[in-house]
Amino acid sequence: MIAHAAKAHRERPWLLLLPVVAFLGVFFLVPLGQVVASSVTEPELTLAHYREFFSDGFYLLVLGRTFATALLVTLACLVLGYPLAYAAVRREGTIALVMLTLITLSLWTNFLVRTYAWMVILGNRGPVSAAFRALGVVPPPEILFTRVASTLGMVHILLPFMVMALYAVMRRIDPAYLRAAQGLGAPPRAAFRHVFLPLSAPGIVNGCTIVFILCLGFYVTPVLLGSPREQMLAGLIGRQIEELLDFGQASAMAVVLLAATLGLFWIYNRFVGIDKLWG
Amino acid sequence: MTRFSDWFAWLVLLFLAAPLAIVVPMSFSNAPSFQFPPPAWGVQYYRAFFADPRWLQPTVNSFIIGAATAVVTMALGIPAAFAIVRHRFAGRGWVNLLLLLPLTAPHIVLALGYYTYFGRLRLTQTYLGVVLAHTCLCVPIVYLTLSAALKGFDRNVERAAMNLGANPWRVFRHVTFPMLRPAFLVAALFAFIQSFDETVVALFISGRDASTLPRKIFDSLRTQADPVVAVVSTLLLGIVLAGTIASRLAARRRRVETPA
Amino acid sequence: MSAYLDIVDVVKSYGAARPAVDGVSLAIGKGEFVTFLGPSGSGKTTTLMMIAGFEAPTSGDIRLDGRSLVSIEPHRRNVGMVFQNYALFPHMTAAQNVAFPLRMRGVQRAEQQRRVAEALASVDLQALAHRHPREMSGGQQQRVALARALVFAPDVLLLDEPLGALDKNLREQMQVEIKRLHRRLGITTIFVTHDQSEAMTMSDRVAVFNQGRIEQFAAPLEVYRRPATPFVGAFVGDSNFFDVVLSDPVQGLASSDVLGDIVVPRSERPPGSRVRLMIRPEAFGLAGDGVHNGCAAVVEGTVNYGDSVLVLTRVAGKEVRMRLSLRDAAAVVEGDRLNAAWRPEDGCLMD
Repeated sequence: MIAHAAKAHRERPWLLLLPVVAFLGVFFLVPLGQVVASSVTEPELTLAHYREFFSDGFYLLVLGRTFATALLVTLACLVLGYPLAYAAVRREGTIALVMLTLITLSLWTNFLVRTYAWMVILGNRGPVSAAFRALGVVPPPEILFTRVASTLGMVHILLPFMVMALYAVMRRIDPAYLRAAQGLGAPPRAAFRHVFLPLSAPGIVNGCTIVFILCLGFYVTPVLLGSPREQMLAGLIGRQIEELLDFGQASAMAVVLLAATLGLFWIYNRFVGIDKLWG
Repeated sequence: MTRFSDWFAWLVLLFLAAPLAIVVPMSFSNAPSFQFPPPAWGVQYYRAFFADPRWLQPTVNSFIIGAATAVVTMALGIPAAFAIVRHRFAGRGWVNLLLLLPLTAPHIVLALGYYTYFGRLRLTQTYLGVVLAHTCLCVPIVYLTLSAALKGFDRNVERAAMNLGANPWRVFRHVTFPMLRPAFLVAALFAFIQSFDETVVALFISGRDASTLPRKIFDSLRTQADPVVAVVSTLLLGIVLAGTIASRLAARRRRVETPA
Repeated sequence: MSAYLDIVDVVKSYGAARPAVDGVSLAIGKGEFVTFLGPSGSGKTTTLMMIAGFEAPTSGDIRLDGRSLVSIEPHRRNVGMVFQNYALFPHMTAAQNVAFPLRMRGVQRAEQQRRVAEALASVDLQALAHRHPREMSGGQQQRVALARALVFAPDVLLLDEPLGALDKNLREQMQVEIKRLHRRLGITTIFVTHDQSEAMTMSDRVAVFNQGRIEQFAAPLEVYRRPATPFVGAFVGDSNFFDVVLSDPVQGLASSDVLGDIVVPRSERPPGSRVRLMIRPEAFGLAGDGVHNGCAAVVEGTVNYGDSVLVLTRVAGKEVRMRLSLRDAAAVVEGDRLNAAWRPEDGCLMD
C-alpha cells in the first residue's frame, strides 16, 4: 500500500510534463533540427556551405566583424554600466527610485522604439547633424547607416541588461565588508578595489555574458541602423532568406551562429552554472 | 572618486533616457519626415494612426496573438513547473534544460527554421503559426517565473490544509492556487509582453494576414516612409511607463503592508 | 488497558543510512499529554509526521482507538496539527483560517460562524478575527493555529515545536494556555520539543528520543530522578557521572575511585558489577549530621544563578558540579576546600 503510493507519486510527473515536452519537441526542436539538417542537405548532401563559409573572405569578414562588434559593445556597456549600477546601489530613497525606474523603463521599452529614436537622432535631419552644421562642419558626416550608428544603437539597447545584471549582484554585497575594510585602515579607493570590485565580479561575468550573446545574434538594430555593406551575421542570414533564397547557405550560417551561442552558454555553465544567470 | 563616478552615472542615465524622450515630441510633429526638432506641431499623425487599418490591424493582431500565446504557454508551463520543482525523477536536469533552451537560440536562427518548417506545413502567414512559434519562445520566462514562485512556497501550508481535511484537489483550489495567483498573473503578463514585442520571428512568418505590430513598425522604419511610427512608439513608451510606475508603487505598498 | 493511540514498532528508513525512526513503540492513553523530547535528528518529528500522515512508516503500525491509521490519507485522519511555523493561510483572515476545517467537513455557514467564534474566544482572539496573518504578531498567529487545529474536535492534537519562535515570557504564557486547553478539552496531545524544561513542566509522560529510538517513556519526575540511560540522565537536567563497582549490591555498598567507599541505592545486580552512577548537582550539600556519603572537594569556581549557586569543584581530580543554596554557598570562594555530601537515594545507577 505504501509502495503503491510512492510509485504513483513517481509516475505522475511524466503526465504533467508530457504536454510541454511534446509541444517543444514538435514546434521547437524539429524546426531547429531542420536548420541543422538543411545546412548539409540543401540542395543535396554536401558540406559545401560550411567549406565556403570558412574559406570565403567575405563570410570570414562578417564573422570577424560580428565577434569584434560584440566585444566592443560588451566592453562599452561594462564601462558605462558599472558606475551607473554602483550609483544606483549606493543611493537611497527617491534618487535610487528615479534611477531604477529609468533603467527599468529602458529595459522594457521595445527595441524598435529605441532604434527609431536613434534613427531620428543620427539622421541627417536630426540634432547630431544640426550640431555639426552649427559647428561649421558642412556637409555633416553621415552617421546613420554606418557601423558607428549600429554599434551605438546596440550599446544603448543592451546597456540596461548589463546594469541590471550588475545591480542584482551589487545589491547583495553587505556594506559591512566595506566598513570592515575601512576600519582596518583601507582608504575608500583601496576598499573599493580590494573588496567591492572582486565581490561584484559575478555581476560583471553575468552582464558581459548576457550582452555578448545578445549582441552576436542581434538582428533588428544592425539592420535598421547599420550599413547594408557592412552586415553582421544575423543580418546576413536574414538577407539570405529574404533575397537570395539560399536556404542551404543560410542554414549553415545559422548553425555557426547557434553553435557559437550554445558554446558560450556551455562555457558559462561549466564555470558558473546556468541558474545564476537569471538570479 | 565617487563623486566623479556619480557624475558619470548621471551622464550614462541621460544617455539612456534622452533618446526615449525624443520619441514623444516626434509624435506631435506635423512634418512628413524624421526631422528633429519637428518644424511643425500637431496631432495629425495621432489621427492618422487611429484611422489607418494598416496600423490598427497589426495592433489588434498583436493583442490577439499575445493573449493566445499567454494562454497556451501557461497551460503548458504550470503543470511543468509543478512537476519539476516538486518531484525528483531521472532526466529532471534534461527537462529543465529543454524548457530553457528557447532562451538560448538566436531568434534569427529560429526564424529561418520556422520559415521553412511552417512554410511546408502551410502555417506561415497564419495566427496559429505565430502563436505556436511565440509559445515556444515564451515557455522559458513563464517556467522561470513559476518555478521561482514554487520554490519559495511554504509546503507546510498545504500540509496544514490536508491535515484540516482538504483532499489534494481542494488543497490546490483553496490554498495553493490563491497563494500563487499573483505569480501566475505575472508569468502570463511576461508571456504576453514577450509575444507582443517579438520582432524577428514575426517578421519572417507572420505575413500580411497575421502581421504583428513590431513587424509593421520594422517595415515602416526600413522604408523610413511613415512618421506614424513616432505615434506608435510614444504609445508603447507610455504603456511601459505606466506599467513601471504602477509596479514600483505596488512594490512600495507591499513593503509598507508587511510589518517588521 | 489498551492504548488509545498505539504506535507499534514503527520504523522509517530513507535508504542506506541509519533509519530515522528505528523501532518506536508507544502506548498513549486517551486524554494524555505526552511530550516527544530529544535533540534534532532524533526521530521525534518524523514520528509525529507519521501520525499525521505526511510520512508513511516503512514498517510497523499506528492505531487510533483500535483502527489502523497507516492506510488512511492525511486529510481523513481527523488529527489536529500545529506546525512549527504555524502554516496559517496568508490569503485568509483568522476567522477564515479557523473556519477552513469546518468548511471541508461541510458544516453549515451559521454553525461554522458559531464554532469559529467559540474557538477564537477560547484563545482570547475574538478581536482579531478579521485580520490577516501578516497583520498579527507571532504569538497571535500561534493562537490562531491552535484554534484552527481544535475547532473540529479532532481525536488527537499534534504540536510540532510550536513555541520555538517565541520569546521567553510569551513561551511560558503559551505553555500555560496549552495546558489549560488540554485540561478543559481532555484531548490526547502529543507535543514535540527539544527543550527539556518545557517537557518537564507540561507533560503527563515524556518520551525521550535518541537516534531514532525511545530511551525512556515515563512521567517527568521519573525521567528526572530515575533516568533509564546515561543519555537521558545527561539530556534532561544537569548531571555528574561516576564509574563505580558494586561491592555489595544488596546492601547498596559500592566503591569509586573518585568518591571512595559509598552507599548507593540497592539493586539486584551481581556483586562486582561495574555501573555508572549519576548524581544531580542539587543532590550535593554541605556535610552535616546523618549524611552518609562525604567527599572532599576543591572549589574551582562559582556561578551565581540568583536562586542557587553552581559550584564547580574537583574531587579526586574529577570535575564535579554541585548546586548549593545561597546560604550554604555564601562564603565559598575559589580555592576553598569543601566538605560536601549526598544521600544514597539521590544517586541513580545505570548500566
